[in-house]
Amino acid sequence: MSGYLTGVLVVLAFNVMAAYAVYLPMAAGQLNLGIAGFMAVGAYAAAYLTNEMMWPMWMAIPIGSAAAGLVGILIGIPVLRTHGIYLALATFALGQVIAAIFLNLEVVGGAAGYPVTEFASPYVVFAAAIGVTLFMVLLSRTRYALYLTAVKSDPTVADLMGISVRGIQVSAFALGAAVAGFGGAFYAHHYNFIEAQHFSVLLSVYTVLYVLFGGTQTVWGPLVGAAFFTLVPELLRASEQWRYALFAMFIIVFMALRPQGLITASLFRIFRRRPKAAAGTEAQGKGASA
Amino acid sequence: MLTQQIINGLMLGAIYMLVAVAFTLAIGVLNFLNFSIPGLFMLGGVATFGFLKMGWPFLLAAAGALFIAALVSLLVERLAYRRMKEGDADVPLVSSLGFLVLLENLVLIRYGSDQQAFPALFPDMNLRVGGLVIGIVQLVSMAISLGLVAWLSWFLRTTNAGRRIRTVAENRETAMLMGINIERLVPQLFVCSALLAALAGLLFAINYQQVTPFMGEGIGFKAVAAMIIGGMGSIWGAVIGGLLIGLAEVLSVSFIGADVVNITVYGLLLVILILRPQGLLGRPPAREKL
Amino acid sequence: MTAATPALEIKGLQKSFAGVRAIRDLSFTVPKGHATALIGPNGAGKTTVFNLVSGVYGIDAGSIHVNGTDITRMPSRQRIRSGVARSFQNIRLMGHLSVLENLLVGQHVRASSLCALITPYRLIPNHKWKREARRALEESGLGQYADETVGALPYGVRKRIDLVRATLAGANVLMLDEPAAGLNPSETNALRDHLKALIASGLTLLVVEHDMHFVDSICENVVVLNFGEKIAEGPLSVVRKDPKVREAYIGSDEE
Repeated sequence: MSGYLTGVLVVLAFNVMAAYAVYLPMAAGQLNLGIAGFMAVGAYAAAYLTNEMMWPMWMAIPIGSAAAGLVGILIGIPVLRTHGIYLALATFALGQVIAAIFLNLEVVGGAAGYPVTEFASPYVVFAAAIGVTLFMVLLSRTRYALYLTAVKSDPTVADLMGISVRGIQVSAFALGAAVAGFGGAFYAHHYNFIEAQHFSVLLSVYTVLYVLFGGTQTVWGPLVGAAFFTLVPELLRASEQWRYALFAMFIIVFMALRPQGLITASLFRIFRRRPKAAAGTEAQGKGASA
Repeated sequence: MLTQQIINGLMLGAIYMLVAVAFTLAIGVLNFLNFSIPGLFMLGGVATFGFLKMGWPFLLAAAGALFIAALVSLLVERLAYRRMKEGDADVPLVSSLGFLVLLENLVLIRYGSDQQAFPALFPDMNLRVGGLVIGIVQLVSMAISLGLVAWLSWFLRTTNAGRRIRTVAENRETAMLMGINIERLVPQLFVCSALLAALAGLLFAINYQQVTPFMGEGIGFKAVAAMIIGGMGSIWGAVIGGLLIGLAEVLSVSFIGADVVNITVYGLLLVILILRPQGLLGRPPAREKL
Repeated sequence: MTAATPALEIKGLQKSFAGVRAIRDLSFTVPKGHATALIGPNGAGKTTVFNLVSGVYGIDAGSIHVNGTDITRMPSRQRIRSGVARSFQNIRLMGHLSVLENLLVGQHVRASSLCALITPYRLIPNHKWKREARRALEESGLGQYADETVGALPYGVRKRIDLVRATLAGANVLMLDEPAAGLNPSETNALRDHLKALIASGLTLLVVEHDMHFVDSICENVVVLNFGEKIAEGPLSVVRKDPKVREAYIGSDEE
């Protein structure tokens, strides 16, 4: 693999992890505009453990992820009292506060940034991204994922069906934070340097943009969105600014034409319909005789 | 010293106030958190700068910049806001973020990311009152801002057009039944809020004699905080919030340090969102009916 | 709990919205294993009673017992576990989920362990939850819709899926809010058979319905509400002749 290709794929891997971190709470109806803050928590916590406590990377990274998840629970409980625009703004403010705290935290380098000694190779990063993707695919096959959608589309009825709306909301928020922290921890150990400025609002915003571009109805949307956002500008050989400008233009036009995102659930059902029809009657036959 | 800082804080607060009023118009009447407003703010400064560089006289350059901002805002209305009824409730918010990213990167491509010096248009005159220094330009721009907001508030309270706008804000269906032409009113509001934002950007450029592609972010996002703190949809709330944020920023810079500004401002926003999401002057949000 | 314990017992229920008294001192009981209808002119407070029992709103005074359990102060989320489930007048299904997925949401109370929550049931062919939901659909003659997106289905079908979802909670008391509204005659007949089968299997029904022929064919007892007050109670044939009931329906032409 050429150095260039490896570099692009590593960026893709980080974008995929970030995308799923945004996707999880969004599946439950929460727009998290502060996901970069949780990446920062994971990155700094894991880096501190390998740098100062001499922990091995394979222990430090899960703990970094757990730290981000814990911050997610602690903050999610009060913040999730708000809804809609208020919640989006609260997460937005949260991202700003977390980044600003690390900017002022001298023990991890403050504004000068924080060099990280342990190195995670590209293959480790790929494995992490694939692991996150598999986890999300598996999760999307469970009742938990079904309840995320239920809570998003009608919280009142979900509550009357006996679903703990608040439990689902807080857990989705925290799980998203943990995934963000996981990606952040790998980011720190792959690039061997982190600075608070990197984890800006714009990082959160770009991630949200490509997740919505991919679509939030199925688990494949974020993957497609991240791949599109990473690879297409590479193919066009666009400069950094043109990449963002083009992408923004694309997002605006796309959202106006297809606000539900590229990959939708009904799209899948159309593809599945024909083979399913035969299998369906068979299953029904069994059901009736049982 | 403290009095001087308070004066500086209020001067900066007047800029926040204008942008916060622009946000509050969009959210109070249209229920749209329009994140393109920071981009329009930046356009107000940068486009004036560009026209001046082309040799245009100041008034023409300023008018040209305001005109461009209004045009872009109409585009936002067309492509982001009109699609609100379909898809996720978050789509217009995200589309407007797309506009912000697009504007920033287009300006970045044209002028580069460096800070550009905005020419000093007026002789540097100061009022000296008992050891306090007050710039005449700053004083005039503060007077313009306050005058404009006072006029807007008067307009909404007493004129027929203002009453129509308030009816739409109260209840869209009622407004439609009363024969108010919403299709025409909405673009007018978008233009109005764009002019406020762009004028604020212009005043900022004149006062601080600098423009950058990203000047809208810092100011615009803090203006969102100001709007929430004052109470969404309330004009005088935006005024109070803007001045408060300006004060909080200047005071924390001078007494604690520049790096903690984001912690104070966004921390304050977070606390308000959790404890009193309707802000200081706002009304509590309506609840869902079954 | 004895056989005499009513399935649903409402005593002295009071509820005001912004000073307007929506329910005034309402008391009635629904005996086990029978269907009872809650009828009355529009705006009489029938749906409000459902909302108070399922906990959408808190009550001002009174008490609600389900199967002998006091649920008056219980959070809305837990009430379904005490044995009372409901359908919705304005069909509250999750539009972009499939029919089967909506039914799986309805099963939640019986599948709420952590294990059930994180089992990737969709990867297991013919998993018991899916099998059960399919069978319930089959039994009400809606089997062919299992994999359709709910939002795309006709009104009558959605209405009946809303009912099937309510039955899957395993509750013994079902509150059905206008189950026959908007159905065509053949759908109404299918619904009637379905409800009769439910009663035969031992379930208790409380039905809000405007179609008096339908009520007559299903329910043994009716409770008549007007302006949030009970004005009559008893078999429909008797209640019909009650002058107060006739008065309440004047202008809105009985049925």
